[in-house]
Amino acid sequence: MRHASFIARTVFVQKNDVEAACKVLNRILGREGILDQFRRTRYYEKPFQFRRRINYEKCKSIYNEDMDRKIQFVLRKNRTDPYPGCI
Amino acid sequence: MLQSRLVAALKSLSIGQGVCRISAQPLSTTAAKCRQVEDRREMLKSLPAIDEGTSGEKAVDIDSMIHHKDIFPNLDTPNMMFNGTPFKELPIFNIRVSSNNTVFSLTDYKGTPKIIRSCGIEGFKNARKGTNIAAQATAISVATRALEKGIKTIRVRVRGIGPGRMSAIKGLQMAGMDIVSITDSTPVAWDPPRPRKQRKL
Repeated sequence: MRHASFIARTVFVQKNDVEAACKVLNRILGREGILDQFRRTRYYEKPFQFRRRINYEKCKSIYNEDMDRKIQFVLRKNRTDPYPGCI
Repeated sequence: MLQSRLVAALKSLSIGQGVCRISAQPLSTTAAKCRQVEDRREMLKSLPAIDEGTSGEKAVDIDSMIHHKDIFPNLDTPNMMFNGTPFKELPIFNIRVSSNNTVFSLTDYKGTPKIIRSCGIEGFKNARKGTNIAAQATAISVATRALEKGIKTIRVRVRGIGPGRMSAIKGLQMAGMDIVSITDSTPVAWDPPRPRKQRKL
């Protein structure tokens, strides 16, 4: 994966706060799945492990989708002002 | 599982002491035999995850997202001036992190190396090379060398994940370097050649 150096995956440090910049960078790398892929490709993933992982991820995403729908259903609002008293 | 086994072992110990003192001997022999592969796996599972220095990977920090707007580079970034030098000509601190070592190399913007130091060179040997303390100590000593050469404003490029990842950058800052940006250049491929076989635990 080649990108323009110092343009991609780059975060500026503001007010000398290195830790915050690192956190932002790490979070982006984690959410994009780059670190996961890095860890996964350190060692060969056998076909049975690949299958199991893919099946697990499928089940997990189906569960998450259903659960999100349920939560949205429970939290549904039918008022003109859905959160009275809140700004 | 492991806990229940421990509790059972303790109970048997107290009973053995209560009845007669000689029966303490078979306990130690059985305990050694009880150590199976399954238990070891469970023990490894129950241990806390190893800190790789990638803090903030999982946790979501909302504040940092709100306050900082211009933390990412744009088209004008290469020509932006930092301490009288355009961004594209700032010297680069390359940090290569692995689980076993941390290597620092300072290059100019063309990539010509100036200083190369690692935790191993710094005097940390064997397993100690791969610790965050070693990385921080090395970072401080490298940064003081860079400051002696008159280099203060730098860009940092990190490669790989390991315990030294965060502490290396922190160490550079502690020694007085002015870090402009942090770049990740971890080599990641989605269709790599076949990697080595997995380690046996």
